Amino acid sequence: MEPPIYYKRSEYIETDTGNKVSRRATIAGPQNIILGGKTIIANGAIIRGDLRRTGPGHAVVISLGRYCLIGVDCVMRPPYKTYRGNFNYYPMKIGDHVHIGSNTVVEAAQIGNYVEIGKNCVIGKFTIIKDCAKIADGTIIPPNTVVPALSLFAGSPGRFVEDLPESTQEMVEAQTKQYYTRFQPEADAR
Amino acid sequence: MPPIIRDKFTIHSKAIVCQDIEIRGDVTIGAGTIIHPKVTIFAIAGPIFIGNGCIIEEGAIIINRRKDVMRIGDDNLLEIGCRVECPEIGNFNTIATRSRVHHNVRISSFCVIGAGCLLAPTEDETLDDYTVVYGPSAELRTWSGRGKVQEADLRRKHAEYLKEMLPKFNRLRRGDGT
Repeated sequence: MEPPIYYKRSEYIETDTGNKVSRRATIAGPQNIILGGKTIIANGAIIRGDLRRTGPGHAVVISLGRYCLIGVDCVMRPPYKTYRGNFNYYPMKIGDHVHIGSNTVVEAAQIGNYVEIGKNCVIGKFTIIKDCAKIADGTIIPPNTVVPALSLFAGSPGRFVEDLPESTQEMVEAQTKQYYTRFQPEADAR
Repeated sequence: MPPIIRDKFTIHSKAIVCQDIEIRGDVTIGAGTIIHPKVTIFAIAGPIFIGNGCIIEEGAIIINRRKDVMRIGDDNLLEIGCRVECPEIGNFNTIATRSRVHHNVRISSFCVIGAGCLLAPTEDETLDDYTVVYGPSAELRTWSGRGKVQEADLRRKHAEYLKEMLPKFNRLRRGDGT
């Protein structure tokens, strides 16, 4: 097992369900954001829950599953478009075990389970990423792309590179769980 | 010692400027312009003028290192994390996510700088109207102008929506005058 990643206890807020949210992350409209539990939101991340769908009642803007990681300086914002002449932002749904690398901008409509997104990526508006897909570092995915399950995408614009092995699901699951356990507060003693 | 920058913000009463931004120097922001949180605007040497109806998204960086005025026209969209240092931007341009434009580029009108493009020519360059910059090596093309009305409509509606929604969730900044 790899060595633990330590963080300062004062820098993160831990919820009852095990979410760890950095105090230095910018979270707008938190009432519209759902975190599944054991999700880590790193320093400098920006999550825009304020860009909600108009209309009455409660609107979920961004929902994240379990064991997710939003890397350092990531931007997560819901996509927008006009539909039948009305402008609206649309909700963003992210599954379980999704890791998003640092400095990535995500405007996807849907991200499945067990997805890995590298650092410095741009995920365009209304992109759909299916289960177990992987996006390499520095990829730029244009708007409205669909990334199929078990595929690796890379480049600018992001293109299909290869199929991933069927064991991806187990690998990513183990990896994300391990990352969560490795992510520990610094020992208080000293 | 760096020169002392005098802060002077002139923000139109109809502009929506979030509190959580970094702003330095002499900056003028026009009516109906929307500035999201976490935007950086640095007028280091000369002042910056931002026109009407622009949308500047989070993480965008606007810097003026020259002595001259930096003018940004009307109805421009500066998307997430873009970095702009050019002395002149016309109207109705889109500077997409995470693109960078250096200080020796002048942008006319109706241009699009694609996501992640780096525009850093060795000598001064002016982008003509309807230029599109795209791809990893920042190639140029000309836009036929198709869908211009729709695009304008989308931008107008977007600004309208943000004008209504942003103040509900974010603290706003007012100009010096008020």
